[in-house]
Amino acid sequence: MTQQLLPAGTQVPATAPTDPDIQGTPATPTPAKRKGRGTSPAFVIGSAMLGLVLLLAAVVPLLPGFDPFGQDLSAAMRAPFTDPDHLLGTDSLGRDLLSRLSLASAVTLGIAFAVVILNAVIGTTLGMAAGYFGGRLDSAVTTLADVNLAMPVVLLLIAVAAVTGPSATVTIVTLGLTYWVGYARVSRNLARSLRHRDFVLAPLTQGGGHGWVIRRHILPNVFSQTLIIGATDIATIVLIESSLEYLGLGVQPPVPSWGSMIFEGQKYLGSNPWLAILPGLAMFLTVAGAQFVSQRFTAEGTTGALLRKGRTA
Amino acid sequence: MPRYLLHRIAQAAFTLFCVLTFAFVLGRATGKPAGLLLPDNATAAEVDALNGALGFNEPLHVQFGAFLANVLAGDFGQSYRQREPALDLVIERLPATFELAFWSFLLGLVLALAAALAIQLTGSRTLRSLFIWGGSLRQSVPDFFFALLAVLVFSVALGLLPSLGRMSPASLVLPVLTIATGQFVLYVRLMDAALSDQASQDYVRTAFAKGQSRARVLVSHMLPNALLPVLTMAGLNLGSLLGGTVVVEAVFAWPGLGQVLTDAVSQRDFPIVQAGLLVVALIFVTVNLAVDLLSAKVDPRVSLA
Repeated sequence: MTQQLLPAGTQVPATAPTDPDIQGTPATPTPAKRKGRGTSPAFVIGSAMLGLVLLLAAVVPLLPGFDPFGQDLSAAMRAPFTDPDHLLGTDSLGRDLLSRLSLASAVTLGIAFAVVILNAVIGTTLGMAAGYFGGRLDSAVTTLADVNLAMPVVLLLIAVAAVTGPSATVTIVTLGLTYWVGYARVSRNLARSLRHRDFVLAPLTQGGGHGWVIRRHILPNVFSQTLIIGATDIATIVLIESSLEYLGLGVQPPVPSWGSMIFEGQKYLGSNPWLAILPGLAMFLTVAGAQFVSQRFTAEGTTGALLRKGRTA
Repeated sequence: MPRYLLHRIAQAAFTLFCVLTFAFVLGRATGKPAGLLLPDNATAAEVDALNGALGFNEPLHVQFGAFLANVLAGDFGQSYRQREPALDLVIERLPATFELAFWSFLLGLVLALAAALAIQLTGSRTLRSLFIWGGSLRQSVPDFFFALLAVLVFSVALGLLPSLGRMSPASLVLPVLTIATGQFVLYVRLMDAALSDQASQDYVRTAFAKGQSRARVLVSHMLPNALLPVLTMAGLNLGSLLGGTVVVEAVFAWPGLGQVLTDAVSQRDFPIVQAGLLVVALIFVTVNLAVDLLSAKVDPRVSLA
């Protein structure tokens, strides 16, 4: 799918390591590169797009008339903005589309967040351990990551769903166990480069355990990178998750998700295309919004560095 | 080079072994298949006898050995529903999937090449933003949704193109367009970055100093050097392109691998899922390996890395 195989390490920026135990260190000053682009238009637009989706997921359930499951066949297939009781219209069973869209947003985003957290925890743990301890563990994790990248992941997920039967838990666990390679690579490289720094060696000579040193001195330096990858990965995960939902391999009816709503709406493209377009629009706002916002944090934003240093013949 | 070669081949073999093991574990996790194979009124003794005949009552490691031996002999067992060898059912769908993947890959590359050359020829930043932003926006919706929009416009509203099946060359247009535009931005970024890298090289300056035109320098000097890394990445991406076609096939009812797999999943026809999984994994791993070794062959710097 949209699994981008960017060269490893593209996301490792040259930020100075921070260490809580050393006070007043004249550590390499953090480059003031973020100065002045805090509120680029892309960032504002992206935030607005994400805000709209969050509003949809969080505020709509508080409105009167929120009912994603109630059927009313006499009011089925209303187009948006034609019925004051159903602002965005109704689906083929007469269920309120705004309510369903809101619930679907919460469900889809909830699953995506759970997946990203699982990915980040697995990837960062494996990566830090590999980079810190090196040796066999390092080559084992690296091989595992390579093998993981060389597998047709979507097909594996389909196969798992074939056995266990589809459910939200299966989606979270399978996606959570497969998209961790980015985190592992970055945190491995960072941990490796920090392994022999004084602030790591010093506590070791004074009897600090490896686990403690990793938690206290490596993790804080890796954490911000993990956050950045997580922020950009959310969009990718939403896309992959939705594809699985579209194939019927996620949360099961009557609970809606964007993917399954689009699948249902596809049957009525001729009569009421909004059934498919609106959930797609919500997904677009999320993914594009996340791209715009994350540009601020990644050196290689959608156009970012490429454009700034862009040279032409 | 031999060391690198051995390492890569060992890794590819290990990957395939992992997929095999995974497929085996999944296959056993579905339970014993006799209940599915026999009519509903079969007695427990009959079910047990068939499970025994199929080897499902053996210890697990014996089953795994038998499974590996069978797979190496190309035998994935019979489809539970169609009573035909599962591998045959998968392989007969491959041409349709390959057709889709090939044209999409080609169209994506050609579009990206045209865009990257246009950017470099005009030297226009606006053009570059336009292509990259446009491609990124396209990537902000999943393939299956873009496909629906395309169907909505070209089939429902304009009535120009078929939205389902694989009847005529025209039915290729929408699925290929969907996949190719999804790949477009990745290729444009790679090609543009590669060309921009070449632009500052000495040989380019020399070529300009000889008085050659910009188009000539671009096409005959820079392009050959820029293309290799792009083709490598594009080749590596071929695997995920194949994965992506599975979903697009579902939208357009394209009778390929994706359709046979999703059908098999909904019918719990596990031999087909296993065979499909392994066929795709084999393609995936072979393509990755071939691309890796090829680029090491063409560009000696690669093997040093």
